[in-house]
Amino acid sequence: MLVELRHIHKRFGAVHANNDVSLTARPGRVHGLLGENGAGKSTLAKILTGFITRDSGDILLDGKPARISTPADATAAGIGMLHQDPLDVPAMTALDNFMAGMPGRSPVTVLRGAAAEKRFREIAAGLGFKLDPRDRVGDFTVGERQQLEVIRLMALGVRTLILDEPTTGISAAQKDQLFEAVRQMAREGRSIIFVSHKLEDVCALCDEVTVMRRGEVMGGRVLREEGRLLDTPARISSDLVTLMFGRELASPSRETHRQEQPAFTLSGVVLDDRRLRIALPEIAIRRGEIIGLAGLEGSGQRLLLQHCAGLLPATAGRLLGRTDLTHKPHKAYLRAGIMYLPADRLKEGLIGGLTLQEHVALRRSVAGKAGTFVNRASALDGAEKAITALNIRGRPDSRVERLSGGNQQRAQLALMPAQLDLILMEHPTRGLDVESAMWVWKLLRERCASGTSILFASADLDEIMQYSDRVIVFSGGQVAPPVEANALDVDRLGRRIGGQMDA
Amino acid sequence: MATPASAKTPSPGAAYRVGAIVVGLIFIAGLVLLTGHSPIDVLVAMVKAAFGTEDQFARVLATLVPLTLCACGLIFTFNAGLYNLGVEGQMIIGGIAATLALRLLQDSAPGPVAMAVAILAGIAGGVVWALLAGALNVFGRISEIFAGLGLNFVAQGLAVYLIFGPWKRPGVASMSGTAPFPETLWLPTIGKTEASPVALIAGLVVLVFTVIVMRNTYFGLRLRAVGLNPRSSTVQGIPATRYLLSAFALSGAMAGLAGGLQVLAIFHRLIPNISSNLGFLSLLIVMLGNFNALFVLPLAFFFSALNVGSLTLPIQFQLESALAGVIQGVLVLAALIGRGLSQQARARARAAAVRKG
Amino acid sequence: MFAKRDTVAALATLGLLLAACGAAPTAAPTAVPPKPTDPPKPTAAPVAATVAPTAATKPTDVPKPTDVPKPAATDYKIGLILVGPPNDGGWNQAHVEGSKYVMAKIPGVTFEIVDKVNPADRPNVKGTQVADDLIARGAKMIIFNSDDFKDDALETAKKYPKIPVIHASGDYSWKDGMAYKNQPNLANLMGQMEYGKMMAGCAAALNTETGKIAFLGPLVNDETRRLASAAYLGAKYCWETYRGKKAADLQFKVTWIGFWFNIPGVTLDPTKVMNEFINGGYDVTISGLDTPEAAQETKKAAAAGKKVKFVHYDLKTGCDIAPDSCLGSPYFNWGPEYVKAIKAAQDGKFDNYPFVWAEPDWKDINNVDSSMVGFTMGKGLGATSADMDKFVKGLADKSINLWKGPIKYQDGSDFVKAGETATPKQIWYMAQLLQGMDGQSK
Repeated sequence: MLVELRHIHKRFGAVHANNDVSLTARPGRVHGLLGENGAGKSTLAKILTGFITRDSGDILLDGKPARISTPADATAAGIGMLHQDPLDVPAMTALDNFMAGMPGRSPVTVLRGAAAEKRFREIAAGLGFKLDPRDRVGDFTVGERQQLEVIRLMALGVRTLILDEPTTGISAAQKDQLFEAVRQMAREGRSIIFVSHKLEDVCALCDEVTVMRRGEVMGGRVLREEGRLLDTPARISSDLVTLMFGRELASPSRETHRQEQPAFTLSGVVLDDRRLRIALPEIAIRRGEIIGLAGLEGSGQRLLLQHCAGLLPATAGRLLGRTDLTHKPHKAYLRAGIMYLPADRLKEGLIGGLTLQEHVALRRSVAGKAGTFVNRASALDGAEKAITALNIRGRPDSRVERLSGGNQQRAQLALMPAQLDLILMEHPTRGLDVESAMWVWKLLRERCASGTSILFASADLDEIMQYSDRVIVFSGGQVAPPVEANALDVDRLGRRIGGQMDA
Repeated sequence: MATPASAKTPSPGAAYRVGAIVVGLIFIAGLVLLTGHSPIDVLVAMVKAAFGTEDQFARVLATLVPLTLCACGLIFTFNAGLYNLGVEGQMIIGGIAATLALRLLQDSAPGPVAMAVAILAGIAGGVVWALLAGALNVFGRISEIFAGLGLNFVAQGLAVYLIFGPWKRPGVASMSGTAPFPETLWLPTIGKTEASPVALIAGLVVLVFTVIVMRNTYFGLRLRAVGLNPRSSTVQGIPATRYLLSAFALSGAMAGLAGGLQVLAIFHRLIPNISSNLGFLSLLIVMLGNFNALFVLPLAFFFSALNVGSLTLPIQFQLESALAGVIQGVLVLAALIGRGLSQQARARARAAAVRKG
Repeated sequence: MFAKRDTVAALATLGLLLAACGAAPTAAPTAVPPKPTDPPKPTAAPVAATVAPTAATKPTDVPKPTDVPKPAATDYKIGLILVGPPNDGGWNQAHVEGSKYVMAKIPGVTFEIVDKVNPADRPNVKGTQVADDLIARGAKMIIFNSDDFKDDALETAKKYPKIPVIHASGDYSWKDGMAYKNQPNLANLMGQMEYGKMMAGCAAALNTETGKIAFLGPLVNDETRRLASAAYLGAKYCWETYRGKKAADLQFKVTWIGFWFNIPGVTLDPTKVMNEFINGGYDVTISGLDTPEAAQETKKAAAAGKKVKFVHYDLKTGCDIAPDSCLGSPYFNWGPEYVKAIKAAQDGKFDNYPFVWAEPDWKDINNVDSSMVGFTMGKGLGATSADMDKFVKGLADKSINLWKGPIKYQDGSDFVKAGETATPKQIWYMAQLLQGMDGQSK
């Protein structure tokens, strides 16, 4: 089925999640929708499947305007989505799940188990899946549950299939199987939309690709004609990386507060969170230095930050600050003046439900500078000062979850203790308007001037190039040694992220 | 999210709250009409039966104490993000521990000493039982709801076993409980009524303690932080586990105290239903009060009066006094529905404001 | 998080509602159809809250309280506190019927009845509290109807020295008893149900084919031990005398459920116990409960073709539930003794009211005006009723005295030595079940 999305807009509060997005998916073709997390891909997929209603824009199916405002509309129109999280019932068998998912049957219909099983096996064989319909879904791997879901969608007769980040959590062999099945479905005349932030998967599978960034379409490319790549893989990926991360060149020349003396050293550190295992090079973080961590999301940047924060013990290696911090409890890291500001501010940083003023009081008590009773006056005073100093749009009694993203980030920064040796940040300016982003960096650099070091991960290569003294590139399970930012430009950085470590 | 502070913001959904309660009241009135009585008469009679005589008023006060104690304990666990459904069991174990202490001391120690030890034993029993649920929750990764409910059954079973087994009164094993303790081991009461000043003072002290701790101390603030976001709190260096267990322990102490007082001041013996379902009732009180310690007293007073006043239903109207349970349930459901609707209304209002802005 | 909280709230609410409903099935008006012979009492206008002889047969017919003039000042209101439901087909219903008898006999007396005063049905309510409220509402006398109220009765009597308190069963007012409490306004009333139980035991022994008799016991106390033992003595006598069999071939099993009636989750379920009896070959069950599970289960089993019978308890009309399977029903007739005690109270002569443990009126054990303990012969007796008549006659003329020694306790020690007869005290305070009975003594 030919699917055309025309000028789709969707806002969530101040965030323009989809800004004039257009996309065309043709029958028989696998269309990639590529972009970093938060680029607006999932929003678009959910609009097409009726889970989210768009603010404006048109959806055309086979050239005719379609009204899709609920998931049922989408199903009726022949659009199916393979969700990131399986929607099955683990306690039941694959066949029971298969039958339960068939809509349009009255509840009193006699289940025709034998017929359903025959159909199940036919579809599975056609797609090259080796699933036993009598097995319990609870015993399946993520990949097998995905296969079950694909079989179900096929039985529903979908003519357009959307796959939302389908390669997360499945094995390499399962990925090959999935890709082969996807190609088979396309050959049968379906249109496929493959939503992913993984460059290599998109390159390996898609015929065409649309790249999104910050809610907008950055461009589209045709990768294959009649199954053949039109260019070398290396050139394709560097081209796509540039689209993903933007090519605006920022001036890398700027003053640095870097001192010679190292503040923290990591040597021989190996990190493993069961999903990913990375071996880090020698890293000596110098006082006042800003190090940017670049790479596709999920390449290990977060592991490094969490390790330095004392939240993820290393399987090998040492971390030295003023004292040896290796295998010390989290508290020791806090005492050593290390502050971690996670990407998800309301999940790991601020505490939704508490006011700014209460946050001020809480930080003071954690710092051990408080008695038994809360000193409201001084907390109020501290909150007011922070509001003025960081230009936070909020009141001392505003609950933090009511603040906008930018103001939340400012609040996080405001709550940082005065004396810090190391600040660890994920996406310091994600979701922030330009003004807030500038405020944030102004403040961070003031910190560096007083000798604080900063490690930050960002999906925004411009941000990395603009503020880092050195850059560490994470790519495909490898971590390169820190490189002077002066020696790089956005293009070369993009190529390195794409896997050409010596670019 | 239902947090205490949501009460502070001006509420465009206030009409929903009032409306839901009104609908609930109309439903109850209809129910009473169906039984062939006038709702007004029933209401007047219930008010009279709760406050008509000094005995009855004293009973309202006597029931108010365990409700307040359990509700205060639950304030801590709720604010720590815990659903301490084990409060009934903690109360029962408190009662059992107090009974045990009295049985051991009644022949050797002077009355006041024995009673003081019994109260402490009740508190200790509640703490142990709550920490058991806490340990299962924190270290065993078992939902505190199921841990609590499971331990409730164990506590109830233990009480029944003791009453029908080792602690049964000479020659008699009956639901009506163990042999009553001599009057020297009864907490003094106001006149001939059932209200014990000791229990009332205990309730009041615990209430004031709870209000102060939750509103004015860093402990309370950190507890709320842990409850709202354990991950953030840990990242910031608050030892979440210790705070969770502290909340369990405090809740258990207060429920255990309530259980001990049921033995010392009300029943003067251990009965199988020593908690009289007051623990569950206090869960509703705390939830209705938006987890705010300031609302505990008025709500506990209301439910206590309802509980005591309902005894007149069978006496005066031959109505099931279980109707009071239905009234309670309907009111609570109405209040919760009202809150849900008003929150939706407020969310809509905010969304509209954003669109305009 | 919010959703979780509300789920919990809903669960808790549901719990309360369920608790409320759990108690509901037994909810029923206290009014029972009056006998046609009951004369209407024009002076005692029916008040909604009282069970008067003219009380209507249906609850909806009861006039609203506002419609009725206040009762005249001469009215004598009595608070009756029942441990169980008033329509239990047993102990509590017998008391309600006693109250009707009183109202028919003494003009101006009305009753206010509160049922199900026990910690399972009414948590957070004590007998003393109910008495407080009844007295506050003008009750001039209080009757507690269960042994379980002994502490409540004493406490109420102490708190209100001017209010006569009757405790049905119990021994606090028995000067020779072991638990005598000098409380002048507290009186105990009880009938010598031992004789009724002997008849019950005899009826069972005459009708068992398997030689296995079961006794469905409530909780263990002095009263229930002596009643179960009396049933056994009656059974043994008739087994040996009328059926000519050896005592050793008679099995007599006692199972205590834990309370006077079923409390789900706390007591054993009497329905299940009955099924165990029936499946275990016990073809006659003697009920000791307030409630009619023995009758109901026997009826079911009989309908399923099993040859099973039962003996009811407490209520004169107890056989009506399953007439064909019913061997009889030993019952209490509280009316006459209540009338005596209430008249004494009205005349101001209640203090130090003598302890009452009334024998049947042996001239006619079923005389409503004189016999406190009676026995209704059931249809199920069939031809064995002749032997039953002989047995009752023997008890009446004292030619049969089953309290004569030697009688041994379960552990082999003497209950009554050879050549002696058990004294009332020995009988009342029987410490164990008797030798030959199978079941727990404590």
